[in-house]
Amino acid sequence: MSSTVAQEHGHATAAWPPDAQYGTATPGKIGMWIFLISDAFSFGGLLIAEGILYAGHRPWRQAGEPELGILFTAALTFILVCTSLTNVLGWAAAADGKRKQAAVLLGLTAFGGALFLVGQFQEWFGIWAPGLLREGLVFGQSPRASTFYVITGYHGLHVLVGVAYILAILAGYLRGRVNERQIELLGLYWCFVDFVWVFVFSFVYLLPSLSGA
Amino acid sequence: MTEKEILQPEASSVTHVREARERIPYLAAFGVLVALTLVEIGVVRSAGIPHRAAVVALIAIALAKAALIALFYMHLRYETRILKFTVLGPLVAPAVYGLLLMLDSAARHMP
Repeated sequence: MSSTVAQEHGHATAAWPPDAQYGTATPGKIGMWIFLISDAFSFGGLLIAEGILYAGHRPWRQAGEPELGILFTAALTFILVCTSLTNVLGWAAAADGKRKQAAVLLGLTAFGGALFLVGQFQEWFGIWAPGLLREGLVFGQSPRASTFYVITGYHGLHVLVGVAYILAILAGYLRGRVNERQIELLGLYWCFVDFVWVFVFSFVYLLPSLSGA
Repeated sequence: MTEKEILQPEASSVTHVREARERIPYLAAFGVLVALTLVEIGVVRSAGIPHRAAVVALIAIALAKAALIALFYMHLRYETRILKFTVLGPLVAPAVYGLLLMLDSAARHMP
């Protein structure tokens, strides 16, 4: 029964019936997972490309290029982990019908995402301190610089889209047009951004810094 | 299945929704994620750890952190086995490529 027909006959909107293989996962949720898997391949391709370039270029860090700020990026990592927590707690609150709490937690998630973007802007261009561009890490001048900007830029784009997505869902939720299922889909996307960042942090920042290359 | 079960507009898309609504596992996962990030910083900063051990440790920690996020925050822990396999199965191939690449790199740069 389509939702329109159901509404005309005074019934509630039909939910996807539980499936033996996929439980109560909706088509929307399966679709989001398929999108995220394909997106994971994009990130995987970029990280593998970085690995190939890293293997063939010694020293990895060219003369005059700055070191990456591990502690600063660790703080950004902490912010992202916090937003994953607030996001999932927001979903749990929505599932429990605690609308105000859910809205506050989603707002905090968006705020954390925006804070991460400010941090990345500082890292690249500089706001309160010189950024990497000014310090000599220039796109196109070395494989290290190019892979750094492409990978962190692609991730940053995901964060930007994620913040817009959160705000759109939050606006819909406040108007009563969004339910916890849509908040869960948002949560899948947002936590994927954190999931990917784990690998970006390790492969772009931590592992190359081990050898001091 | 009754009509009421089928026509629940607010039925959750999380299969084991009751367990998923528990807050404590999310908070525990948060604590572990923060702790693992601190361990990562420690591994990078400490000079006494052999290079190869540090690489293995960092990769293992990254995999553990990613698994925590996928299982708890992305709710895979509360889904069916088939859905878990559908999501995690395709990621194995690129992970193997990546591992082979790193082994190749390590072998070519061995002193």
